[in-house]
Amino acid sequence: MSGLGVNGMGEPAIALRGIRKRFGDQEVLRGIDLAAHDGDVIALIGASGSGKSTLLRCIPMLEVPQAGEIFAAGERIALRDGQQKLDRAQQAAVQRMRTRLGFVFQSFNLWPHRTVLQNLIEAPVHVQGRPKAECIAEAEALLEKVGLAEKRDAWPAHLSGGQQQRVAIARALALKPRALLFDEPTSALDPELVGEVLKVIRGLAEEGRTMIIVTHEMGFAREVCNKAVFLHQGRIEEEGPPEQVFLDPRSDRARAFVSSHFNRNR
Amino acid sequence: MDFAFLSETFFKLLAGFPLTVNLAVLSLAGGGVLALLLNMARASGWLGARFADFYVFLFRGSPLLIQIFLIYYGLGNFPAVRESFLWPFLREPYWCALLALILNDAAYTAEILRGGFRAVPRGAVEAAEACGMSRLTRLRRITLPVAIRQALPAYSNEVISMFKSTALASTVTLMEVTGIARAEVSATYRAIEIFLCAAVLYLVSTLLITRALRLLETRLSPWLAGNRA
Repeated sequence: MSGLGVNGMGEPAIALRGIRKRFGDQEVLRGIDLAAHDGDVIALIGASGSGKSTLLRCIPMLEVPQAGEIFAAGERIALRDGQQKLDRAQQAAVQRMRTRLGFVFQSFNLWPHRTVLQNLIEAPVHVQGRPKAECIAEAEALLEKVGLAEKRDAWPAHLSGGQQQRVAIARALALKPRALLFDEPTSALDPELVGEVLKVIRGLAEEGRTMIIVTHEMGFAREVCNKAVFLHQGRIEEEGPPEQVFLDPRSDRARAFVSSHFNRNR
Repeated sequence: MDFAFLSETFFKLLAGFPLTVNLAVLSLAGGGVLALLLNMARASGWLGARFADFYVFLFRGSPLLIQIFLIYYGLGNFPAVRESFLWPFLREPYWCALLALILNDAAYTAEILRGGFRAVPRGAVEAAEACGMSRLTRLRRITLPVAIRQALPAYSNEVISMFKSTALASTVTLMEVTGIARAEVSATYRAIEIFLCAAVLYLVSTLLITRALRLLETRLSPWLAGNRA
Protein backbone atom coordinates (compact mmCIF):
# COMPACT_ATOMS: atom_id res chain seq x y z
CA MET A 1 0.00 0.00 0.00
CA SER A 2 1.43 3.35 -0.90
CA GLY A 3 1.20 5.45 2.18
CA LEU A 4 -1.98 7.25 2.87
CA GLY A 5 -1.13 9.88 5.37
CA VAL A 6 2.44 10.55 4.34
CA ASN A 7 3.00 13.65 2.30
CA GLY A 8 4.69 17.00 2.35
CA MET A 9 2.31 18.47 4.91
CA GLY A 10 2.89 15.81 7.53
CA GLU A 11 0.49 13.14 8.60
CA PRO A 12 -3.09 14.26 8.01
CA ALA A 13 -5.66 14.00 10.79
CA ILE A 14 -7.99 12.20 8.42
CA ALA A 15 -7.40 10.71 5.00
CA LEU A 16 -9.81 8.67 2.95
CA ARG A 17 -9.04 6.82 -0.22
CA GLY A 18 -11.26 5.03 -2.67
CA ILE A 19 -14.27 4.91 -0.36
CA ARG A 20 -17.18 3.02 -1.89
CA LYS A 21 -20.49 2.37 -0.19
CA ARG A 22 -23.55 0.61 -1.49
CA PHE A 23 -26.96 0.26 0.17
CA GLY A 24 -28.57 -2.64 -1.67
CA ASP A 25 -28.52 -1.78 -5.36
CA GLN A 26 -27.84 1.85 -4.77
CA GLU A 27 -24.27 3.01 -4.93
CA VAL A 28 -24.07 5.94 -2.53
CA LEU A 29 -20.32 6.58 -2.61
CA ARG A 30 -18.39 5.83 -5.77
CA GLY A 31 -14.77 6.14 -4.81
CA ILE A 32 -14.01 9.14 -2.65
CA ASP A 33 -10.61 10.53 -1.75
CA LEU A 34 -10.43 13.20 0.91
CA ALA A 35 -7.83 14.50 3.33
CA ALA A 36 -8.07 16.80 6.32
CA HIS A 37 -4.88 18.13 7.84
CA ASP A 38 -4.64 19.50 11.34
CA GLY A 39 -6.43 22.83 11.48
CA ASP A 40 -8.47 22.20 8.35
CA VAL A 41 -12.15 23.05 8.40
CA ILE A 42 -13.80 21.21 5.57
CA ALA A 43 -17.39 21.85 4.53
CA LEU A 44 -19.09 18.91 2.83
CA ILE A 45 -21.95 20.21 0.73
CA GLY A 46 -24.30 18.77 -1.82
CA ALA A 47 -27.94 17.95 -2.45
CA SER A 48 -29.86 15.47 -0.29
CA GLY A 49 -28.83 11.99 -1.35
CA SER A 50 -25.45 13.08 -2.68
CA GLY A 51 -23.77 10.89 -0.07
CA LYS A 52 -22.23 13.54 2.15
CA SER A 53 -23.65 12.24 5.45
CA THR A 54 -22.79 8.67 4.50
CA LEU A 55 -19.24 9.76 3.73
CA LEU A 56 -18.91 11.46 7.10
CA ARG A 57 -20.32 8.41 8.88
CA CYS A 58 -17.80 6.19 7.09
CA ILE A 59 -14.92 7.92 8.84
CA PRO A 60 -15.60 6.48 12.34
CA MET A 61 -17.12 3.42 10.62
CA LEU A 62 -20.67 4.08 11.73
CA GLU A 63 -21.21 2.92 8.18
CA VAL A 64 -18.78 0.32 6.97
CA PRO A 65 -17.82 0.98 3.36
CA GLN A 66 -17.51 -1.86 0.86
CA ALA A 67 -14.09 -0.73 -0.26
CA GLY A 68 -11.46 1.84 0.48
CA GLU A 69 -8.95 2.89 3.05
CA ILE A 70 -9.53 5.07 6.06
CA PHE A 71 -6.80 6.73 8.02
CA ALA A 72 -7.96 8.79 10.96
CA ALA A 73 -6.41 9.95 14.23
CA GLY A 74 -3.44 7.67 13.73
CA GLU A 75 -5.36 4.50 12.95
CA ARG A 76 -5.53 2.90 9.54
CA ILE A 77 -8.28 0.60 8.35
CA ALA A 78 -7.88 -0.81 4.86
CA LEU A 79 -10.83 -2.83 3.63
CA ARG A 80 -9.92 -5.85 1.58
CA ASP A 81 -11.85 -6.60 -1.58
CA GLY A 82 -15.01 -8.52 -0.86
CA GLN A 83 -14.56 -8.22 2.90
CA GLN A 84 -17.96 -8.61 4.59
CA LYS A 85 -17.16 -7.88 8.22
CA LEU A 86 -14.35 -6.16 10.05
CA ASP A 87 -11.89 -8.56 11.59
CA ARG A 88 -10.82 -8.36 15.20
CA ALA A 89 -7.76 -6.19 14.62
CA GLN A 90 -9.79 -3.79 12.48
CA GLN A 91 -12.51 -3.57 15.11
CA ALA A 92 -9.92 -2.74 17.73
CA ALA A 93 -8.46 -0.07 15.46
CA VAL A 94 -11.94 1.37 14.86
CA GLN A 95 -12.54 1.55 18.59
CA ARG A 96 -9.25 3.31 19.24
CA MET A 97 -9.92 5.71 16.38
CA ARG A 98 -13.40 6.51 17.69
CA THR A 99 -12.07 7.58 21.07
CA ARG A 100 -9.95 10.19 19.30
CA LEU A 101 -12.70 11.61 17.08
CA GLY A 102 -15.68 13.67 18.16
CA PHE A 103 -18.90 13.03 16.29
CA VAL A 104 -21.87 15.41 16.46
CA PHE A 105 -25.18 14.05 15.18
CA GLN A 106 -28.05 15.80 13.49
CA SER A 107 -30.43 14.62 16.22
CA PHE A 108 -28.03 15.28 19.16
CA ASN A 109 -28.32 11.73 20.53
CA LEU A 110 -27.62 12.62 24.12
CA TRP A 111 -28.01 9.78 26.60
CA PRO A 112 -31.43 10.39 28.14
CA HIS A 113 -30.70 8.72 31.49
CA ARG A 114 -27.67 10.87 32.24
CA THR A 115 -27.54 14.50 33.26
CA VAL A 116 -25.70 17.03 31.12
CA LEU A 117 -22.50 16.66 33.13
CA GLN A 118 -22.78 12.86 33.17
CA ASN A 119 -23.16 12.89 29.39
CA LEU A 120 -19.89 14.78 29.15
CA ILE A 121 -17.84 12.58 31.47
CA GLU A 122 -19.29 9.21 30.41
CA ALA A 123 -16.82 8.39 27.65
CA PRO A 124 -13.75 10.08 29.18
CA VAL A 125 -14.23 8.07 32.38
CA HIS A 126 -15.60 4.77 31.06
CA VAL A 127 -13.87 4.54 27.69
CA GLN A 128 -10.68 6.52 28.05
CA GLY A 129 -10.35 5.53 31.70
CA ARG A 130 -9.32 8.96 32.94
CA PRO A 131 -9.74 10.06 36.57
CA LYS A 132 -13.27 11.20 37.27
CA ALA A 133 -12.40 14.38 39.15
CA GLU A 134 -10.23 15.59 36.31
CA CYS A 135 -12.99 14.80 33.77
CA ILE A 136 -15.57 16.69 35.82
CA ALA A 137 -13.36 19.78 35.98
CA GLU A 138 -12.82 19.66 32.22
CA ALA A 139 -16.50 19.03 31.55
CA GLU A 140 -17.41 22.09 33.61
CA ALA A 141 -15.00 24.20 31.58
CA LEU A 142 -16.49 22.84 28.35
CA LEU A 143 -20.01 23.65 29.50
CA GLU A 144 -18.83 27.16 30.28
CA LYS A 145 -17.45 27.38 26.79
CA VAL A 146 -20.72 26.38 25.10
CA GLY A 147 -22.62 28.71 27.43
CA LEU A 148 -24.41 26.04 29.44
CA ALA A 149 -22.60 26.04 32.77
CA GLU A 150 -25.86 26.49 34.64
CA LYS A 151 -27.38 23.40 32.97
CA ARG A 152 -24.77 21.12 34.53
CA ASP A 153 -27.30 18.99 36.39
CA ALA A 154 -30.21 19.27 33.97
CA TRP A 155 -31.66 16.31 32.08
CA PRO A 156 -31.39 16.30 28.28
CA ALA A 157 -35.18 16.04 28.00
CA HIS A 158 -35.50 19.42 29.71
CA LEU A 159 -33.28 21.28 27.23
CA SER A 160 -34.15 22.97 23.95
CA GLY A 161 -32.79 21.53 20.73
CA GLY A 162 -30.12 24.19 20.51
CA GLN A 163 -29.02 23.53 24.07
CA GLN A 164 -28.96 19.78 23.49
CA GLN A 165 -26.78 20.23 20.44
CA ARG A 166 -24.39 22.47 22.35
CA VAL A 167 -24.15 19.78 25.04
CA ALA A 168 -23.52 17.22 22.30
CA ILE A 169 -20.68 19.36 20.97
CA ALA A 170 -19.23 19.66 24.47
CA ARG A 171 -19.57 15.90 24.84
CA ALA A 172 -17.59 15.40 21.64
CA LEU A 173 -14.93 17.86 22.84
CA ALA A 174 -14.63 16.03 26.16
CA LEU A 175 -12.84 13.21 24.33
CA LYS A 176 -10.07 15.70 23.43
CA PRO A 177 -10.46 14.61 19.84
CA ARG A 178 -7.95 15.01 17.04
CA ALA A 179 -10.81 16.07 14.77
CA LEU A 180 -14.51 16.84 15.03
CA LEU A 181 -17.11 15.50 12.63
CA PHE A 182 -20.44 17.30 12.32
CA ASP A 183 -23.37 15.62 10.57
CA GLU A 184 -25.83 18.40 9.69
CA PRO A 185 -25.62 19.82 13.21
CA THR A 186 -28.38 22.39 12.73
CA SER A 187 -30.81 20.55 10.45
CA ALA A 188 -33.04 19.33 13.27
CA LEU A 189 -33.27 22.74 14.92
CA ASP A 190 -35.94 25.41 14.84
CA PRO A 191 -34.65 28.35 12.81
CA GLU A 192 -34.28 30.61 15.84
CA LEU A 193 -32.00 28.07 17.55
CA VAL A 194 -29.60 27.58 14.64
CA GLY A 195 -27.53 30.67 15.45
CA GLU A 196 -26.44 29.61 18.95
CA VAL A 197 -25.08 26.32 17.61
CA LEU A 198 -23.33 27.88 14.63
CA LYS A 199 -21.73 30.37 16.99
CA VAL A 200 -20.19 27.57 19.01
CA ILE A 201 -18.90 25.81 15.89
CA ARG A 202 -17.49 29.09 14.57
CA GLY A 203 -15.64 29.55 17.86
CA LEU A 204 -14.10 26.08 17.47
CA ALA A 205 -12.97 26.94 13.96
CA GLU A 206 -11.30 30.07 15.27
CA GLU A 207 -9.43 27.96 17.84
CA GLY A 208 -7.93 26.09 14.92
CA ARG A 209 -9.74 22.79 15.50
CA THR A 210 -9.77 20.24 12.74
CA MET A 211 -13.33 19.75 11.57
CA ILE A 212 -15.37 18.20 8.80
CA ILE A 213 -18.84 19.65 8.63
CA VAL A 214 -21.76 18.35 6.59
CA THR A 215 -24.15 21.25 6.31
CA HIS A 216 -26.87 22.99 4.35
CA GLU A 217 -25.96 26.34 5.88
CA MET A 218 -24.10 27.72 2.88
CA GLY A 219 -23.34 31.16 4.26
CA PHE A 220 -21.93 29.64 7.41
CA ALA A 221 -19.94 27.03 5.50
CA ARG A 222 -18.37 29.68 3.30
CA GLU A 223 -17.34 31.73 6.33
CA VAL A 224 -15.77 29.04 8.51
CA CYS A 225 -14.25 26.55 6.10
CA ASN A 226 -10.87 26.69 4.44
CA LYS A 227 -11.87 23.99 2.01
CA ALA A 228 -15.24 23.14 0.51
CA VAL A 229 -16.12 19.82 -1.05
CA PHE A 230 -19.18 19.48 -3.27
CA LEU A 231 -20.55 15.97 -3.63
CA HIS A 232 -22.80 14.87 -6.42
CA GLN A 233 -24.16 11.33 -6.79
CA GLY A 234 -21.46 9.79 -4.67
CA ARG A 235 -18.52 11.54 -6.31
CA ILE A 236 -16.56 14.66 -5.50
CA GLU A 237 -17.67 17.04 -8.21
CA GLU A 238 -15.72 20.03 -7.04
CA GLU A 239 -13.36 20.87 -4.23
CA GLY A 240 -11.20 23.82 -3.38
CA PRO A 241 -11.02 26.97 -1.32
CA PRO A 242 -14.42 28.37 -0.40
CA GLU A 243 -14.06 31.42 -2.68
CA GLN A 244 -13.76 29.09 -5.63
CA VAL A 245 -16.43 26.54 -4.74
CA PHE A 246 -19.01 29.03 -3.52
CA LEU A 247 -18.33 32.02 -5.78
CA ASP A 248 -16.79 30.68 -8.93
CA PRO A 249 -17.37 26.94 -9.25
CA ARG A 250 -16.00 25.27 -12.33
CA SER A 251 -18.58 22.52 -12.56
CA ASP A 252 -22.07 23.45 -13.77
CA ARG A 253 -23.73 21.28 -11.16
CA ALA A 254 -21.85 22.96 -8.35
CA ARG A 255 -22.71 26.33 -9.82
CA ALA A 256 -26.41 25.45 -10.01
CA PHE A 257 -26.41 24.02 -6.48
CA VAL A 258 -24.60 26.93 -4.88
CA SER A 259 -26.60 29.61 -6.64
CA SER A 260 -29.93 28.01 -5.77
CA HIS A 261 -28.89 27.78 -2.13
CA PHE A 262 -27.68 31.34 -1.87
CA ASN A 263 -30.84 32.63 -3.51
CA ARG A 264 -32.91 30.65 -1.03
CA ASN A 265 -31.02 31.86 2.01
CA ARG A 266 -30.56 35.48 1.19
CA MET B 1 -67.20 -11.49 63.17
CA ASP B 2 -64.87 -13.41 65.42
CA PHE B 3 -62.03 -10.94 65.76
CA ALA B 4 -60.10 -13.10 68.15
CA PHE B 5 -60.05 -15.90 65.59
CA LEU B 6 -59.18 -13.50 62.77
CA SER B 7 -56.19 -12.07 64.57
CA GLU B 8 -55.08 -15.51 65.64
CA THR B 9 -55.28 -16.66 62.00
CA PHE B 10 -53.52 -13.55 60.83
CA PHE B 11 -50.50 -14.27 63.00
CA LYS B 12 -50.49 -17.91 61.94
CA LEU B 13 -50.45 -16.89 58.30
CA LEU B 14 -47.78 -14.29 58.98
CA ALA B 15 -45.46 -17.17 59.91
CA GLY B 16 -45.58 -18.19 56.25
CA PHE B 17 -44.88 -14.70 55.01
CA PRO B 18 -41.06 -14.96 55.06
CA LEU B 19 -41.25 -18.01 52.77
CA THR B 20 -43.63 -16.17 50.41
CA VAL B 21 -41.22 -13.23 50.25
CA ASN B 22 -38.25 -15.56 49.91
CA LEU B 23 -39.83 -17.35 46.92
CA ALA B 24 -40.88 -14.08 45.30
CA VAL B 25 -37.54 -12.34 45.70
CA LEU B 26 -35.41 -15.29 44.60
CA SER B 27 -37.62 -16.15 41.63
CA LEU B 28 -37.57 -12.54 40.46
CA ALA B 29 -33.81 -12.35 40.89
CA GLY B 30 -33.17 -15.64 39.12
CA GLY B 31 -35.76 -14.88 36.47
CA GLY B 32 -34.23 -11.47 35.88
CA VAL B 33 -30.74 -12.86 35.33
CA LEU B 34 -32.11 -15.57 33.04
CA ALA B 35 -34.16 -12.99 31.14
CA LEU B 36 -31.05 -10.90 30.51
CA LEU B 37 -29.21 -14.00 29.28
CA LEU B 38 -32.14 -14.83 26.99
CA ASN B 39 -31.99 -11.34 25.52
CA MET B 40 -28.26 -11.62 24.99
CA ALA B 41 -28.84 -14.95 23.28
CA ARG B 42 -31.43 -13.24 21.13
CA ALA B 43 -28.93 -10.56 20.16
CA SER B 44 -26.22 -13.09 19.38
CA GLY B 45 -27.70 -14.32 16.12
CA TRP B 46 -30.27 -16.50 14.43
CA LEU B 47 -29.81 -19.59 16.58
CA GLY B 48 -29.89 -17.64 19.84
CA ALA B 49 -33.01 -15.80 18.74
CA ARG B 50 -34.81 -19.05 17.86
CA PHE B 51 -33.81 -20.52 21.22
CA ALA B 52 -35.15 -17.48 23.07
CA ASP B 53 -38.38 -17.62 21.07
CA PHE B 54 -38.82 -21.29 21.84
CA TYR B 55 -38.07 -20.81 25.52
CA VAL B 56 -40.64 -18.04 25.81
CA PHE B 57 -43.17 -20.09 23.86
CA LEU B 58 -42.68 -23.05 26.19
CA PHE B 59 -42.78 -21.30 29.54
CA ARG B 60 -45.28 -18.60 28.72
CA GLY B 61 -47.53 -20.98 26.83
CA SER B 62 -48.08 -23.54 29.58
CA PRO B 63 -49.58 -23.06 33.05
CA LEU B 64 -47.17 -22.40 35.89
CA LEU B 65 -49.01 -25.01 37.99
CA ILE B 66 -48.26 -27.69 35.40
CA GLN B 67 -44.63 -26.59 35.28
CA ILE B 68 -44.40 -26.97 39.05
CA PHE B 69 -46.01 -30.43 38.89
CA LEU B 70 -43.78 -31.53 36.03
CA ILE B 71 -40.67 -30.56 37.92
CA TYR B 72 -41.76 -31.83 41.33
CA TYR B 73 -43.55 -35.06 40.36
CA GLY B 74 -42.03 -35.57 36.93
CA LEU B 75 -38.26 -35.20 37.19
CA GLY B 76 -37.94 -37.88 39.87
CA ASN B 77 -39.11 -40.47 37.36
CA PHE B 78 -35.83 -40.23 35.47
CA PRO B 79 -33.07 -42.34 37.02
CA ALA B 80 -30.52 -39.97 35.50
CA VAL B 81 -31.97 -37.14 37.54
CA ARG B 82 -32.17 -39.24 40.69
CA GLU B 83 -28.54 -40.18 40.35
CA SER B 84 -27.26 -36.74 39.49
CA PHE B 85 -25.70 -34.26 41.87
CA LEU B 86 -28.88 -32.18 41.49
CA TRP B 87 -31.08 -34.74 43.17
CA PRO B 88 -30.54 -33.43 46.72
CA PHE B 89 -32.09 -30.23 45.40
CA LEU B 90 -34.69 -31.57 43.01
CA ARG B 91 -36.25 -33.88 45.58
CA GLU B 92 -37.00 -30.89 47.82
CA PRO B 93 -40.33 -29.22 47.12
CA TYR B 94 -38.79 -25.81 47.89
CA TRP B 95 -36.17 -26.04 45.14
CA CYS B 96 -38.67 -27.51 42.68
CA ALA B 97 -41.14 -24.70 43.25
CA LEU B 98 -38.39 -22.08 43.10
CA LEU B 99 -37.00 -23.55 39.89
CA ALA B 100 -40.43 -23.52 38.24
CA LEU B 101 -41.05 -19.94 39.37
CA ILE B 102 -37.66 -18.80 38.07
CA LEU B 103 -38.08 -20.49 34.69
CA ASN B 104 -41.58 -19.11 34.30
CA ASP B 105 -40.67 -15.59 35.41
CA ALA B 106 -37.71 -15.56 33.02
CA ALA B 107 -40.02 -16.08 30.04
CA TYR B 108 -42.23 -13.12 30.91
CA THR B 109 -39.37 -10.88 32.02
CA ALA B 110 -37.41 -11.68 28.85
CA GLU B 111 -40.33 -10.39 26.79
CA ILE B 112 -40.69 -7.26 28.92
CA LEU B 113 -36.96 -6.60 28.67
CA ARG B 114 -37.07 -7.19 24.92
CA GLY B 115 -39.64 -4.41 24.67
CA GLY B 116 -37.35 -2.22 26.78
CA PHE B 117 -34.38 -2.89 24.52
CA ARG B 118 -36.43 -2.12 21.43
CA ALA B 119 -37.43 1.21 22.93
CA VAL B 120 -33.82 2.33 23.41
CA PRO B 121 -33.33 5.21 20.96
CA ARG B 122 -31.08 4.14 18.09
CA GLY B 123 -29.28 7.47 18.33
CA ALA B 124 -28.25 6.88 21.95
CA VAL B 125 -26.63 3.60 20.96
CA GLU B 126 -24.96 5.18 17.96
CA ALA B 127 -23.55 7.98 20.12
CA ALA B 128 -22.08 5.30 22.39
CA GLU B 129 -20.54 3.54 19.41
CA ALA B 130 -19.19 6.80 18.05
CA CYS B 131 -17.13 7.48 21.17
CA GLY B 132 -15.54 4.06 21.08
CA MET B 133 -17.52 2.14 23.70
CA SER B 134 -17.11 -1.60 23.52
CA ARG B 135 -20.20 -3.81 23.26
CA LEU B 136 -20.05 -4.72 26.93
CA THR B 137 -19.59 -1.13 28.13
CA ARG B 138 -22.44 -0.06 25.86
CA LEU B 139 -24.71 -2.71 27.35
CA ARG B 140 -23.69 -1.90 30.90
CA ARG B 141 -23.68 1.90 30.67
CA ILE B 142 -26.24 2.80 28.01
CA THR B 143 -28.46 0.10 26.54
CA LEU B 144 -29.39 -1.83 29.66
CA PRO B 145 -29.99 1.19 31.92
CA VAL B 146 -32.21 2.81 29.30
CA ALA B 147 -34.00 -0.47 28.55
CA ILE B 148 -34.68 -1.08 32.24
CA ARG B 149 -36.17 2.38 32.62
CA GLN B 150 -38.40 1.81 29.61
CA ALA B 151 -39.44 -1.62 30.86
CA LEU B 152 -40.07 -0.74 34.49
CA PRO B 153 -43.79 0.11 34.27
CA ALA B 154 -44.52 -3.21 32.54
CA TYR B 155 -42.16 -5.04 34.87
CA SER B 156 -44.09 -3.78 37.90
CA ASN B 157 -46.95 -5.98 36.70
CA GLU B 158 -44.66 -8.95 36.52
CA VAL B 159 -43.38 -8.37 40.05
CA ILE B 160 -46.91 -8.33 41.43
CA SER B 161 -47.90 -11.31 39.34
CA MET B 162 -44.91 -13.32 40.59
CA PHE B 163 -45.60 -12.35 44.19
CA LYS B 164 -49.06 -13.85 43.92
CA SER B 165 -47.87 -16.84 41.91
CA THR B 166 -45.85 -18.01 44.89
CA ALA B 167 -49.21 -19.19 46.25
CA LEU B 168 -48.98 -22.11 43.82
CA ALA B 169 -45.99 -23.42 45.78
CA SER B 170 -48.53 -24.55 48.36
CA THR B 171 -49.59 -27.30 45.93
CA VAL B 172 -46.28 -29.05 46.48
CA THR B 173 -46.52 -28.92 50.29
CA LEU B 174 -44.72 -25.65 50.88
CA MET B 175 -46.03 -23.84 53.93
CA GLU B 176 -45.98 -20.28 52.70
CA VAL B 177 -48.99 -18.01 53.36
CA THR B 178 -51.42 -19.95 51.15
CA GLY B 179 -50.09 -23.31 52.30
CA ILE B 180 -50.74 -22.42 55.93
CA ALA B 181 -54.14 -21.03 55.00
CA ARG B 182 -55.13 -24.29 53.32
CA ALA B 183 -53.95 -26.33 56.28
CA GLU B 184 -55.89 -24.10 58.67
CA VAL B 185 -59.03 -24.43 56.55
CA SER B 186 -58.88 -28.22 56.58
CA ALA B 187 -58.41 -28.14 60.33
CA THR B 188 -61.18 -25.64 61.11
CA TYR B 189 -63.44 -25.50 58.02
CA ARG B 190 -63.57 -21.72 58.41
CA ALA B 191 -62.69 -21.02 54.81
CA ILE B 192 -64.00 -17.47 54.50
CA GLU B 193 -62.18 -15.95 57.45
CA ILE B 194 -58.92 -17.72 56.74
CA PHE B 195 -58.75 -17.09 52.99
CA LEU B 196 -59.88 -13.49 53.50
CA CYS B 197 -57.03 -13.05 55.93
CA ALA B 198 -54.63 -14.48 53.36
CA ALA B 199 -56.04 -12.24 50.65
CA VAL B 200 -55.58 -9.17 52.84
CA LEU B 201 -51.95 -10.13 53.41
CA TYR B 202 -51.36 -10.35 49.65
CA LEU B 203 -53.29 -7.11 49.04
CA VAL B 204 -51.25 -5.12 51.54
CA SER B 205 -48.04 -6.55 50.12
CA THR B 206 -48.91 -5.70 46.52
CA LEU B 207 -49.91 -2.22 47.60
CA LEU B 208 -46.48 -1.74 49.14
CA ILE B 209 -44.76 -3.25 46.10
CA THR B 210 -46.67 -0.94 43.76
CA ARG B 211 -45.68 2.09 45.81
CA ALA B 212 -42.05 1.04 46.00
CA LEU B 213 -41.82 0.46 42.27
CA ARG B 214 -43.49 3.77 41.50
CA LEU B 215 -40.91 5.42 43.73
CA LEU B 216 -38.12 3.55 41.93
CA GLU B 217 -39.51 4.72 38.58
CA THR B 218 -39.31 8.37 39.55
CA ARG B 219 -35.90 7.85 41.13
CA LEU B 220 -34.54 6.33 37.93
CA SER B 221 -36.29 8.66 35.47
CA PRO B 222 -36.59 11.97 37.33
CA TRP B 223 -36.94 13.91 34.07
CA LEU B 224 -40.37 12.34 33.61
CA ALA B 225 -41.56 13.22 37.08
CA GLY B 226 -42.50 16.81 36.33
CA ASN B 227 -44.45 15.92 33.20
CA ARG B 228 -46.67 13.43 34.90
CA ALA B 229 -48.61 15.54 37.31
